[in-house]
Amino acid sequence: MRYGLILLALTLTACDRAPQVSFADTSITLPDDPLDLPDLPGRNAVVENCTACHSPSTMLQQPKVSAEKWESIIGKMVETYKAPVDPQAVPAIVDYMVAVQAEQAEGQE
Amino acid sequence: MADSNGSNGKLTRRALIAGAGAGGLGAALAAPVLGQRLIREGVIDLGLPGGPSERSLTPAFPGKGEMIVQRIRPPLLETPMKVFDDATITPNDRFFVRWNWDMPTAVNAAAHRVAVGGAVKQPVSLTLDDIASAGEHVEVTAINQCAGNGRGLSDPRVTGTQWGNGAMGCARWTGVRLKDVLAKAGVGAGATRVRFAGLDVPLTDGAPQFIKSIPMDIAMRDDVLVAWGMNGEPLPLLHGYPLRIVVPGWFSTYWVKMLSTIEVLTGEDDSYYVAKSYRMPAAQITPEDEDFDTVAITAMPPRAFITSHADGDMVKRGKPLTLRGIAMGGDAALARVDLVGGGRELPCELGPDEGQFAFRSWTVTIPEVTAELSGIGVRAANAGGGVQPVALNWNPSGYARNVIERITLRAQ
Repeated sequence: MRYGLILLALTLTACDRAPQVSFADTSITLPDDPLDLPDLPGRNAVVENCTACHSPSTMLQQPKVSAEKWESIIGKMVETYKAPVDPQAVPAIVDYMVAVQAEQAEGQE
Repeated sequence: MADSNGSNGKLTRRALIAGAGAGGLGAALAAPVLGQRLIREGVIDLGLPGGPSERSLTPAFPGKGEMIVQRIRPPLLETPMKVFDDATITPNDRFFVRWNWDMPTAVNAAAHRVAVGGAVKQPVSLTLDDIASAGEHVEVTAINQCAGNGRGLSDPRVTGTQWGNGAMGCARWTGVRLKDVLAKAGVGAGATRVRFAGLDVPLTDGAPQFIKSIPMDIAMRDDVLVAWGMNGEPLPLLHGYPLRIVVPGWFSTYWVKMLSTIEVLTGEDDSYYVAKSYRMPAAQITPEDEDFDTVAITAMPPRAFITSHADGDMVKRGKPLTLRGIAMGGDAALARVDLVGGGRELPCELGPDEGQFAFRSWTVTIPEVTAELSGIGVRAANAGGGVQPVALNWNPSGYARNVIERITLRAQ
């Protein structure tokens, strides 16, 4: 990564004169998410409707909640955040998340 | 990945499917982590009740050391508690990262402008040099803490980013006063609030932009900054290069990154992230309550953490035990820290005062460990009369957690 900004002689005292800071172009490259969605029924619906806005990590880290809660979360994504989710895919997404969480819960026992 | 959605930042179904790919990360290096359990190479257990509690550690983000991964894209990276045991200033490479919408990955400094408009005498478009010469350069040491810090520890659990307690950090921020930047445009009559927007915009048409506002009296404070420096270095891009707002004592949600717009309002702010989100119940509720008034999350309450020991650690029976950690006053100076639990109440000795908005270290020595130390914790109180509560201020979004954090130490 490149840092283009150089801070020169920063001071706590008054200095209402010319800028003592210079700014330059800066860019970074972000890593991809190494986490893959578990291979369970409905995975395609999640890939096609959810992962463009957020990589899998957050989805897979939620506390175990009901199918109704997942439905309301998807509803919020659509209504508030205008996610282009295919309405026909919603049941498959909900079933997938419930199945993922059931598998996670099993793994903890 | 952030670039794959096209330069206009809007999302199409094609981009949506194309964005689903996954790449590889190098193996993360394991390190002992206090306050949290390292369970195997590159994996940490945050101790979230009921799980899932395991998180990857990665050094893969540009300019970052090993961070806890809450989400890769847009980035949500948490600071391991071990970092807070090392110093009261959080290094830039270990500072937590939080973006609501996809973040831009490049900034053209010469082309960057900060528009100052709304209820002003003369709208202006400022270059970065204009900002840097807007007034006296000021440095403030202040804690930047996510409103949802510790959400994953809520019991009963709530959905959202499942942070442990590492969505916080303390840095030395350098910049000019917001009021000096506002003076470039001249605040107009009837000004009530100042609203900020950054370069991060929604991927989808019609979705709310992440914009936030603060009341005029806060905006005019001497320590509220438009900052370009973080711990003596340029603001890293992940932390909002080239400029971010700094509001000492207030939660991070107001510290808008990649600042591009300053707007003076004359009424209430009815935008989504102020009027509908980042709010908590006006009075204490129970998980069964559904209808309640809400208030915006603003000033931070006091908090304290034990960083020298993790829950379940073994200590020596018959010996003295010294504990250490960090504390914060929130929006007022830290007044005191006490070790509590198991019928015990011991005042802690406070370390150097680095300013009322900074972390402060503390230590305390228990003269002799005679048995297991069950449910001990540290309780911070601030100069404004705020004291950490014994019971969780549970709320459905898990905001503003400041219950006394407790651990149990076994004796042998």
